[in-house]
Amino acid sequence: MSRMPAWPARARDLARRARQHPRRSALVTALLALAVVLWALTRPGMPLGPVDLTWHRMQVNRDFYVGIDPSYPPFAEWTPERIEGIEPDIARELGRRMGVETSILIMGYDGLYDALYTGQVDLILAGLRADPLYADWVHYTQPYFDAGQVLVFRRDGSYSGIEALDGKTLAVEIASLGDQTAQQWQRRLRSLEIQRHMLPQDALDAVARGDADAALVDTITARLSLTSYPELRQAEQTTASDEYVIAIRAADFRLINAVERALDRMRADGTLDAILNRWLGSGS
Amino acid sequence: MPAQAPSLTARVLSRTAHAAPLLARVAIVAAALISFVPAPPRIVLGPPQTVITRNPAICVHTRLTDEVEEWKVQRTLALVREMGAPTIVEYFPWPYVDRGEGRYDWSHPDRIIRHAEHQGLRVIARLGLVPARLRPPAEERVTSLTYLPYDAFDEFAAFVGAFVARYRGRVEDIIIWNEPNLAFEWGNRPPDPEAYTELLRLTYTAAHAANPAVRVLGGALAPTLEPETSGYAMSDLLFLERMYAAGARDWFDALAVHAYGFTAPPDAPPDPAAINFRRVELLRAIMTAHGDENKPVVITEAGWSDDPRWANSVRPGQRIAYTLDAFEQAAAWPWLEAVCVWNFRIPVDQSNRRDAYFALVSSDFTRKPIYDAIQAYARGWESPYTP
Repeated sequence: MSRMPAWPARARDLARRARQHPRRSALVTALLALAVVLWALTRPGMPLGPVDLTWHRMQVNRDFYVGIDPSYPPFAEWTPERIEGIEPDIARELGRRMGVETSILIMGYDGLYDALYTGQVDLILAGLRADPLYADWVHYTQPYFDAGQVLVFRRDGSYSGIEALDGKTLAVEIASLGDQTAQQWQRRLRSLEIQRHMLPQDALDAVARGDADAALVDTITARLSLTSYPELRQAEQTTASDEYVIAIRAADFRLINAVERALDRMRADGTLDAILNRWLGSGS
Repeated sequence: MPAQAPSLTARVLSRTAHAAPLLARVAIVAAALISFVPAPPRIVLGPPQTVITRNPAICVHTRLTDEVEEWKVQRTLALVREMGAPTIVEYFPWPYVDRGEGRYDWSHPDRIIRHAEHQGLRVIARLGLVPARLRPPAEERVTSLTYLPYDAFDEFAAFVGAFVARYRGRVEDIIIWNEPNLAFEWGNRPPDPEAYTELLRLTYTAAHAANPAVRVLGGALAPTLEPETSGYAMSDLLFLERMYAAGARDWFDALAVHAYGFTAPPDAPPDPAAINFRRVELLRAIMTAHGDENKPVVITEAGWSDDPRWANSVRPGQRIAYTLDAFEQAAAWPWLEAVCVWNFRIPVDQSNRRDAYFALVSSDFTRKPIYDAIQAYARGWESPYTP
């Protein structure tokens, strides 16, 4: 004889009791419904939920404060006229899309997180990498740029993966991340000759001259330099990523949503690429 | 016949038997509480080490003063020794050991010096900073941690004397203050060469009274082009001139110099209007002009940064080449004793980006390419980073 599962029997028992005690049942149901409603109303963004004071202030004052370290051209530079570069452009575009006026506050790199923590700025845009040290109170957005190492080769060549470098000569900048990555590849491939150069531009020169088959250099150097090397092109993806992200206080959930949405749209409509291309070249 | 009264032993045994459950509970609770006490970390010194190097002028500035765990102190100094640097500069802030009224807690300096000795390293002690009890209240005056009231110079001198006495025979070189030609390092007051000279006089006297063999390194001036009237800083050349004018010659045994290269290579010619490695030659010329050519010079901070987002930095390969060239350059100066690279490692890289990119080893003890390059140079190995 097969046994019935216990839970339908319990459910039937519960239903029977509920019919026997309709008032008590109604009370329990009402309490449960109230708990669900309270839970829903206290979620971020709901009427009884936590308030994003930063977003509230931005909506009232129509202002938006961004912390930038202007010591990193072309990402941010302090010219006699104004702060300019990729990061100020992104900051101003974010402000425009959120309908607020962007104010850029200049500060040294080491003061950026303190400024964010104390509320002097609403976000930091300064070539930051996501840092676990601050993960408990900082939200890092999607990356706006990948400064990682990228392969550069002649236009008539093709290097889709590291296997294609077997038996080849790879030019790198001495002691760079590209150099260290190449040493790892050297151990994985049957043969890879590493050609070291003092500057990344020297590595690109070697490829252009035909002294090396490819170069592994940082994306910023590649994009800034490739306009001078029409015979070279860079791979579509980096081989060792180094993503730059924006830091926002994790409590500012409405601002986070707005910035992430704005970045999505800037990426989709080509604005982000246009800003990067303006300062770095297209890399091709 | 009345019952015989139990003996004393029997009574004690009986009472003990009655109390046994309570005693057992107390013992269990005590054992549980004791188990919460963390066991002291076990650091095994191991056999004494010696530094193998072909250039004894190689030196690094460590930052162990903020290091809590002893194994990190030990690991750092072992890496220094393995790299081939026989000398370190380490910072021993006065407030860290000061307990007031002439009392000191030397436990942390003891630990650092014990490990340094064990690794075969010579320690140049940098002494500075001011205990809070001597600084004005923050609501009264905006200062920095380096605000030493002029009427407290003798208290600092007493600390210097106590330090020198404690480490007599173990630490024979001390640096008095750091970069007094910067307002930030002088308690947010305009740099004052005459006052610094007075500080040198008092500390020199106290140090030599505690240990006649000790060497007092004066100066440790920041390379800067700021004019005398700036208020924020004073040119190191002007500052040294005014030190001599104030009679500093009698109050230091060697000159400590900070020689940063920024973007210039180490062979860039010295120029009063430029900051580069060979600026040390200008300071040396001032010493010679004041008849102080017999005193040696120690570069207690030097180096290049490869921070990718700093206008004053160089590429990683240039950093290696410039640093090794600087060691060679220094070998040509008979009056120079050591070139101490700023810095070896900081406890938390995220705490100070500028220092993190000057470091040779990251805070998680990952050796940077420049560490490997200096090690290869010091040990006479083939360099892993040659074009």
